Parts: sequence; structure tokens; C-alpha cells
Amino acid sequence: MTSIPKKHPPHTLSLTVNGETHSFILGKGPNEVSPSHTLAQTLREKLGLTGTKISCDRGACGSCTVLLNGKAVFSCMLLTVECEGKEITTIEGLSDPKTGNLDPLQQSFIDHTAFQCGFCTPGIIMSTKALLNTNPSPTVDEVKEALSGNFCRCISHYHVLDAVMDVVKKEGNQ
Amino acid sequence: MTDYRFIGKSTPRKDARDIVTGKIKFINDVTIPNMLYGKVLRSPFPHALIKNIDTAEAMRIPGVEAVLTHKDVPEWMGGASPLHVRILDNKVRYVGDGVALVAAETEDICEEALRLIRVEYEPLPAVYDVEEALQPEAPRLYDMFPGNLMPPENRIFGPHTLQEVVIGDVDKGLEEADFIIEGYCTYENIPNPMPPEPPGVIAAWEGSDTLTVWSASQGPHMFKVALQKRMGSINLQSIGSPVGASYGSKFMSWQYVLPAAALAKATGRPVKFCYGKAEHLAAFTVRLGSRIYGKVGMKKDGTVTFVSGDWLVNTGAFSETAQAMVAVGCGEAQLMLRCRNWNLKPKVVCTNRTASGQIRGFGGQELKCALTPIITMGMEKAGLDPVDFFKKNYVKPGEDFYWRDGIRWVCRGIDFSAAIDRGAETFGWKEKWKGWLIPTSVKGAKRRGVGVGVHGNADVGEDVSEAFVRLDPNGTATIYSGLAEHGTGQRSSICKMVAEILQLPLERVSVTPTDSRVNPFELGPVGSRGTYAIGSAVIAAAEDAKRQLFERMAQKFNVLPEELETKDGTVYVKGRTETKIPWIKGMGYDSTCMGHGRFEPDFSQPNFMMIFTEVEVDTGTGKVELIRVVGATDVGQVIDPLSLTNQLNGCLGSAGIDSALFEETVFDTRLGRIMNPNMIDYKWRTFSELPEMEHVILETPFPSHRFHAIGVGEITPSPGPSAVLMAVSNAIGVRMNDYPLTPDKVLRALKKIATTKRRGKR
Amino acid sequence: MKSFVHFNTRSVDEAIHLLKKYEGKAKINAGGTDLLGVLKDRILPEYPEAIINIKTIPGLSMIEDGEEKILIGALTTLADIINSSLIEKTFPLLKEAALSVASPQIRNVATIGGNLCQDTRCWYYRYPDGIGGRINCFRKGGKTCPAVSGENQYHAVIGAKKCYAVCPSDLAVALTALGANLTIAGQKGVRTIPVEEFYHPLGNTLSPDEMITAIHIPKPFPVARQTFHKFTLRKPIDFAVVSVSSLIFLDQEICTSSRIVLGAVASAPFRAYKAEEFLKEKKLSAKTAEEAARLALDGSKPLAKNAYKVEIAKTLVKRAVQGTE
Repeated sequence: MTSIPKKHPPHTLSLTVNGETHSFILGKGPNEVSPSHTLAQTLREKLGLTGTKISCDRGACGSCTVLLNGKAVFSCMLLTVECEGKEITTIEGLSDPKTGNLDPLQQSFIDHTAFQCGFCTPGIIMSTKALLNTNPSPTVDEVKEALSGNFCRCISHYHVLDAVMDVVKKEGNQ
Repeated sequence: MTDYRFIGKSTPRKDARDIVTGKIKFINDVTIPNMLYGKVLRSPFPHALIKNIDTAEAMRIPGVEAVLTHKDVPEWMGGASPLHVRILDNKVRYVGDGVALVAAETEDICEEALRLIRVEYEPLPAVYDVEEALQPEAPRLYDMFPGNLMPPENRIFGPHTLQEVVIGDVDKGLEEADFIIEGYCTYENIPNPMPPEPPGVIAAWEGSDTLTVWSASQGPHMFKVALQKRMGSINLQSIGSPVGASYGSKFMSWQYVLPAAALAKATGRPVKFCYGKAEHLAAFTVRLGSRIYGKVGMKKDGTVTFVSGDWLVNTGAFSETAQAMVAVGCGEAQLMLRCRNWNLKPKVVCTNRTASGQIRGFGGQELKCALTPIITMGMEKAGLDPVDFFKKNYVKPGEDFYWRDGIRWVCRGIDFSAAIDRGAETFGWKEKWKGWLIPTSVKGAKRRGVGVGVHGNADVGEDVSEAFVRLDPNGTATIYSGLAEHGTGQRSSICKMVAEILQLPLERVSVTPTDSRVNPFELGPVGSRGTYAIGSAVIAAAEDAKRQLFERMAQKFNVLPEELETKDGTVYVKGRTETKIPWIKGMGYDSTCMGHGRFEPDFSQPNFMMIFTEVEVDTGTGKVELIRVVGATDVGQVIDPLSLTNQLNGCLGSAGIDSALFEETVFDTRLGRIMNPNMIDYKWRTFSELPEMEHVILETPFPSHRFHAIGVGEITPSPGPSAVLMAVSNAIGVRMNDYPLTPDKVLRALKKIATTKRRGKR
Repeated sequence: MKSFVHFNTRSVDEAIHLLKKYEGKAKINAGGTDLLGVLKDRILPEYPEAIINIKTIPGLSMIEDGEEKILIGALTTLADIINSSLIEKTFPLLKEAALSVASPQIRNVATIGGNLCQDTRCWYYRYPDGIGGRINCFRKGGKTCPAVSGENQYHAVIGAKKCYAVCPSDLAVALTALGANLTIAGQKGVRTIPVEEFYHPLGNTLSPDEMITAIHIPKPFPVARQTFHKFTLRKPIDFAVVSVSSLIFLDQEICTSSRIVLGAVASAPFRAYKAEEFLKEKKLSAKTAEEAARLALDGSKPLAKNAYKVEIAKTLVKRAVQGTE
């Protein structure tokens, strides 16, 4: 972090990401968070959480999807300064940090090869996670609706739906 | 059929865990110490001379390390034969063409600096239409290309590179024909393959002659070879990264690698140069524009007596590799149509829009989309079912064709008739096909129609691949290959091949990073060549390594090497599994076995893809909905079922089937600007609107390699667009000859709104 | 993105005070799903100096049931509107309109006030500055509208004069049909205006120091048949090519009165008064629907590439009147 100006207390910002709280100084310096930074930028550039991807950078493709207080949002269309006090979850926050155990959704994506190039996969998984958080037994159509803002140019959609429905089925049986 | 341990079974992708946890590092996820960022100032004019550039103010911004213009970039050249594209020129040839380059500490600083560069332009008239560009009075893009006509290619695929299809005697074909059809069709919506990850690279110099490039190239080793040629005597080290998809578009990467290298050279620091999505869509490559005026002769039984015509290919501001794409397209036309008399003459033309580049389908899709609708007019006259026609005319074993190298090849692959029959049966073609321009069903305003298309490619065995396989005493195998992972799972598939040969658990087989300092020559995973060409090299290397292993182990058993077998890192005499010796016992801890494999080109085993489509047209709104898709192919042997179905499902995306439905790059011909360089206005298929999708995959062994397999991934989108055109034509009872079939065009065809003049001069 | 001064405001008064202070050089940010695109592409001749976040103002995100009307706070997200059983029961067309917007991720943050105030999607207006420079069209103070003789497939077909951009708001179409009013707070106090009168040819009637705080929707009485149909090339993500929102009051099969509003055909939601007038006291049939559709688009003047929008609009009106998909 850069040095703190002497006269005025610095404007600081704290973000809670994957359960950890991070503090930043607001400003234009290379190590500071600018008011114009998007959440996606901050996650990637300041916290090294590059699992959140930027593709269209205009809120159309879903590659940057993260959870904000449990809801799926485009991190490329949110200002970091407006995320203070919110709980943010990224793809890195899905697996257990200590054991490395994967979320069942992640495992199912592996089992179904529910990706090709894999660039859009974190966003797709996060959108699905948001859905399952509120609706653990969705129909296929509800899954499609939840993923309607997620781009996949390789057309892995069919395998993604298989992977998600497999989790729904398994979790439902438990 | 052999029951393999890994081949043909679904196994998790090697990179799966990194993908689902977000750990995988794509090029824009990588930073290296002391790195700068690079950006381009882009032209507002489609065609102009740069009279003056003032960079002084931009240079004064703190954090700006270099500003380069045409006056001070190195003389490295891009573009296909001949080299004709400078990194920056004193002339701009499309809106978005590079005018200046900036390197700075952050991307934001780059952008502020770009705004302070003062440029004085002298606008020139511009030309966009392929036929207008050929007129003598048309504005000329390059002094070296009179009439904006690109010269024929005579290097890339050898001295006889196929640049036209002129075979037999068209006059004879005219005489033999029962029907002669003349037609016109365009595939000029220049769809964008639009991989999610925009193009990106990091370039760094060591001294003045060693350049290291980290890039998302689809063929990192090949571009090292290609770039070294363009950059003079330098030592280029090419390091690949996972490719956030490419679909061909990131194979030839000089458009963004050369500027990054120039900035890195000027600043003496590493430079990261990643496009934003608007640049990706407005100033990177789109499909070729394709327009055909064709004439076809046909007999009542579906025999094609001749094909002639002009194929006008619009390559935009430069040829990235257009003549090579024409060569492959010309070859693919012959695979689809058995015909003795041809006179198909392509012309590759430059115009003032962003350049066309190589994309999945590589010339063949562009040609087919425009040619097939003309051929189908003949089928209609002859009253032929298109499935029967394609089955009769698709290349069969023993039949010949001229491939991209201009050489006559004889097919020694397989007959795809069984795949066609099974595809038709699965789709229910016989029940749904009601004849030409007749709908399958009508329910109120909704009309359904069906259509079919076909495509195939002999490039499954193109070019050279080399590989090493190293066996370590601890019972692991490492494949040395320059193969980049671009989504097909090919890096995992070659591990399966090696694991199968060495009978090693899959987790004990790995591939080196795509680094040209480590690996032997590899063209890259293009043209569906991964399975046959790359696979063959890897298989040969594994066999070679195994042979060496057995030679060393033979004395332990006191038998001949040929009598040995290996499994799970142990060796035993065939049939005597009770005595197994671990590799280390024979090899010692201080040795490795290094096998080498090389694949030489073989164009004799074309692959095949047929796509059946059913559409529903709402005649009240003109909207076309894709209801169902059935794909049919024969791959010899499935390597990984899930990776294969993924690739086959890919027929919808990457400027494939949907380029007949809604995908288009909208171009304003007064401003020379692309109006939809964003992912809201450029349309792509969403999760909400998936058609039913089914595939028929046959496994008739090919004489390819040990596993008798060939690849099919590259061609899956290509039969689709013309199939959709046929389906919509049948649904509404009006022939369509222009893509994509937006509501506007459908309502015009239905005469619900007045028609305006079509594109094209004739 | 170029930087700016940023404020998290705590009250409507504070936000208005800041708007006043920056004299038109500040922008209000609610969900941000429209504004951030505008800023990133630098499409405006003047980049704002300040961004005023109003999400931090308490009390503006709510749906309140009243006897005669329902009140929706300007910061209520589209997702909240979709998930409200009250809205679903009372104004199903509003739910449909909200659900038709973009994608779940957008709807989770985009607000009803932001949806009403979003800038046009005209691709000349939105052309990114980074690819050869922004386009200085009529809407930005330039001399002409490049769409008139250009790529106008998504542009206005009715009533446009100098600028052919259309109002992209789906909720504006629904709320016009529902006869909703807006509460607007500003330096001079609070005013109320029907949604129908909120837009003008180059945007909306907010002055630089004003913001929407609430939307009031009168409950339809007697109960009407409500429909919202949006035609797009794709179901999610897309802005309307044409949309139709309708309220049809029926007595048996006789239409006693109706409100029919077309979206994306003009610079504002377009009330099809002639069609409404015609339908009064008519028995609904294929024939009356056909005539209502013709009258709804009477006077339309499509450009070279958007005549299809007129045809689609007619089809949507016809289907709305007949109550068919």
C-alpha cells in the first residue's frame, strides 16, 4: 500500500471476499483502488483472483459473474467503491481453502466435461451456484433461465445442463 | 472393435480441476515483473493517408514509456503471400486500423495518452463491395495489388497450391446435362468467431536478438516459425497459454504479436498487449465474404456434369491467409461433389473493412454457404432428395480429388453412406421431407421446414507434427508437444493415447508446457488434424520410447525385446504376469528413454459431417427458430466421448449454424464502421434457446493410425448454415440466397414488406 | 475507465445538492448497468466529473400496497419486482416486462428508476470512442442523425424527426400502459408526472438536478386482461426490437376500453390511441384485431431498413388484442 497522506485521513474501503476482509486506500496511485475501478478489476488486479474473467466488459457475457450477498452479479458492471460491506464470493471461494475439496458443482463439471476452452466456466459455475443457493431443486428450464446471461461460444451448454442436473439429482437424493 | 483401457472411454480432462476452480491462467491472467501495457490508436477513416502525427503531448504524460508511429516501427511484415502488411503504415485501410502504439505503466494511462496524439489525415475514397473493388476506377488499397486483386498463392502449400478448380471440359458437361442451373448466392455477413477471450500477448526482449512471446495462440510453435521469417534474423521463443478459445482466429497471431514486440523493443521492458472486446470485434478478423455466380449441370439421376462460376472472395483490408483458405475451399468443393468438369474461378479481393482471417471452416464453409444453395436449385429441378444427392456425390474410397497442394489424391478413407443413412433415420428425414419449397408442417402462422448440409475436409492429415515421449524410471511418461489446449481436450487426448500404448494410469502421463524452447515442431490443432496428425506423431514417439525401454529391460528377463509387455510402470514377459519388474529396475535411476515421432502429411482420408436441421418460422414476425439439429459423422474410433460431443455441439457457435440465423457483423458502408462491436448487438446463442441436439457417431476403422481414428472438430459448424437456408426456404416456400435469415429478410420473402435491391452488381 | 469523484449519498436531499453543485457534470448511479457502459466507451462529449451513488439512500427500495395504487421505490431492483407476489397478482404485465430485461445478473442490480432513465441503445450514439472516435450525432449536439440513411434496422418508425433513436426501456412501456406516475425530487421540490409524459425526443424531462424517487401505479378496476410481448432476436440479453404492452378491459367479449402501448418504435413509449378508440365497445375477433393493428401503426414512416418493425408491431398488437401468443 502507498504511504498515507499526513493531513487528511485516507479514504479507505474494505471488501469482504470469500470470507476475508481486505482494506484498500482509495486513490489514483498504482497500489490504490480508483473510484472508477470495477469490482472485476479489483478482484483480478489487486487481489490476484483471476478466476473471475473479463470478456465483453459490458454486462453481456457473464464471464465476470460473482456472488454479491449470495446473488449473481456482473462484477464488470459494479464499481468497487459501491461494494463496501457486501459479501463477495468468487470462483476461488467455492472449494474448501484448507482441504481443497471441491464444491459438488465443480466436481460435476469435471465429471461431465462441462466446458471446452474453460474461459467462461467460472462465470457459469457462479451463476449456477446462485441459483442452487435459493432453489436447490430447479427444473432444466430454471437452470437455463439462470444461465441466460452466460456466454459460451464453444457450445458446452448441453454438458453444463447435464452437470447441473446431475448435482440436483444427487443432492435431492441425499 | 477393440476394448481399450482409455481410448473411447470418458476420462476427466487433465486441466479440468484448474478450469473449475479458476486457477487456470489465461494470457490476461499472467503478469510478469516490470511489465508495461500497450494500446493502439485506431483510425476514424476507412481509407486515408497520414499526413502528420504529433506525439509530443502524449509522451509528456507521466507513465508513458513509448509512442510509436509508422515512422519508427520496425520493418516487420505481416499478411499472406506476398507479405504486405506493416505494423503501422502511413496509410490506413479500415476504420480501426492502427495509427500509433503506446506503452505505459497502466492501461488507463495508455488510453489517456492515445487521446493526446494529434493526427492529420488526408481521407481517400473507400470501397467495400467486392465487385466495386474490382472496377478499374476503384480506390486501390495497395500499390502492389492492381484492381485490389490478391495474387494467387504459390508458396504456402507448395508451387502448385490450388487456386482454382479447373478440371475436365465444361462444354462437355453442358452437353451431358439434363438441367442447367444458373444462380447467385452470397455469404457476406462476415460473422465473427468471437472467442470469449480477446487476443492477447506479452512480449519481452533479451538483448536485441532474443524475443520471448507468451501468447494465446492456437499454434504457438507454428507462429514462431512464421514470425521468425517476418522479423529477420531473431531468435523467437514462443510460449503458449491455455487458449480462451480461438476457432482458428488466434492461429496466425502476428497482428497483435508484432506491435507488442515493437513496443517491448522500444521500451526495453516486457509489454502486455491485450485487446478489449470492441477491438476484438471491430479491428480483428471476421469470416471471408463469399459471393458466387455459378452455373451447374445435372442429370436426372443427380450426376453433376459440370460446375462453373466466379467465386468472389472479400478478404477486407488485407489477406491474413485468404489464398490458403481458397485452396482448401476448392479442395473441399470436390469432396462434396463428384464431378468431372469444373471451372470454378476464385478472386481474392481487398476492401476497406477489417480483415478476414482463418476461422473454423477455413474457406470451405464460406464457399459451401454460397455454392450449396445454387446446387440445390439443380436438385429441385431434377426432383431429387438432397440426402440422396449428397450420399451419391460425396467422395468415396478410390475416388480422386485435387487437394490444397494442387496434387491429385485418391481417397483411401471410408464410405460415409452408413453415417448418412443413420443420420437421416435419427432425424426422421423421410417423414419430414416433403419436397422442395414445401413445408413439413403448417400450424397457424408457424411453418416448419427441414434442410440438410454436408461438409468434409482432407486436412485431418495436414502438415507435420513432431513429438517426443520421455519415460522416467519412476513409471511416468512425459509428452513433449507444442500442442496448445484450445478447448478440444486434445492435450488430454494425446495423454490417453500414450497411456494406452504404455498401459500407464492416465495420471502418470503429462504434457510439457507449450514452449518452443522445449518442444519439437508442431503445426498446431487446426483442420481437425489433432487426432490423426498430432496423434500419429505422439503414438510413434510412445512406441519408440517403449521399444527403447524393452531393449534395456530384455537382458533382465533374458528374452528378446519383442517378447516384453508393460503395464502400470512394470515390465513382464508376454503371458507371464507373475514376474513384473518396475521400470526403475531395468533403467536405473539415472536414465530416461526418449522416443521420437513424426507425422508426414497425408490427404487421402477425408472426414465427414452432415447436419440435419428443422426450423420453425413465425410468418407473423419473420422470426426463425431452430428446433432440432442432428449431426452425423464417422470418426473411426472415438477417443473421448464427452470431448467429441462437445465439439459436435459446437456446430452452433463460432460463426457456424447461427451465422444463418442471426449472427452478422453489421457494417455501415457510408462510414466504413462496424456498428455492433459489442456482445449485446452482436448476437450469439444463449442457454435459453437451445435446439434439441442429437448426434450419430459411427466408428468404422480408418487406416489412419494404431487407433484407426480421425478428427472432426473443425468442420462441425460448416454444413449448418446452408442447411438452415434450405430449411427456411422449404418452410416459407420461397428460395433464400442471403445470410443471415433475419425477420427483415423473411418478411420480405413473404412479401409482407416491400423488397429493396439485393447486393451484387450483375 | 477514466476516473471521477465518487459520492455515496445518504439522502435524496444530499444527492440533489450534489447534482446542483456539479451543474450537469455529475451523473447519478443506481444499478450502474447502463451508466458504466456509457462511461467505459466514452460516448458522451463531456465525461462526467462526479458519480453520485444513490444505492446508499435508505428507503427507496420497496413495494408498498395501497388501496388504490401500488408504490414502488425507484431503487427497487427488477429482481425484486419479479419476485413480488403483489406485483405478480396485480400487474402481471409489469412482471413480464421486468423479466424480459437482459439477464438475471443484470436484474439483480438494475433498478426500476434506472431502467426508466437509461440512455438509448442507438448504435451510432453508442459507438465506442476507442475504435476511431465516437460519433457526434444529432443527439449529442451534432448536425445529423446518421441512422436516417444508415443501418437503421432498430430505429424509430413513428414520429421521429431529428433523432431516430428509440426509448429502450421495457418498463416504461409497461408503466405507460398501466397509467403509472413518477415522483420526481429536485432542487425546486417534488413533482409528479405520468410516465407517458416523461420522455421527449432526445431523452427525458429530468432537469440536471432532479431524480426519480418513486413510481405509483393505479390498480386497474375493473380487472383488465394484461399482456406484455417483446420481440427480440434472442429471448435474454436483447433490447426490444418492438414490444407491445396492453390492458384490455372486457365485458364478456366486448372491449369496454383499452390501453395499447408500443415500445421501441419511437423516442418514447407510443400510445396507440387510434386503435384504443376503435376497439371501444367492439367484440374482439380476428377482424377487429387486424383493424386495431392497422390503426395502431397508422402514420408510421419506416426507414429503408426497418419496415419489418412495423409488420412485427402489427402482429404483436393483433396477438395482444386476440389474447394469443
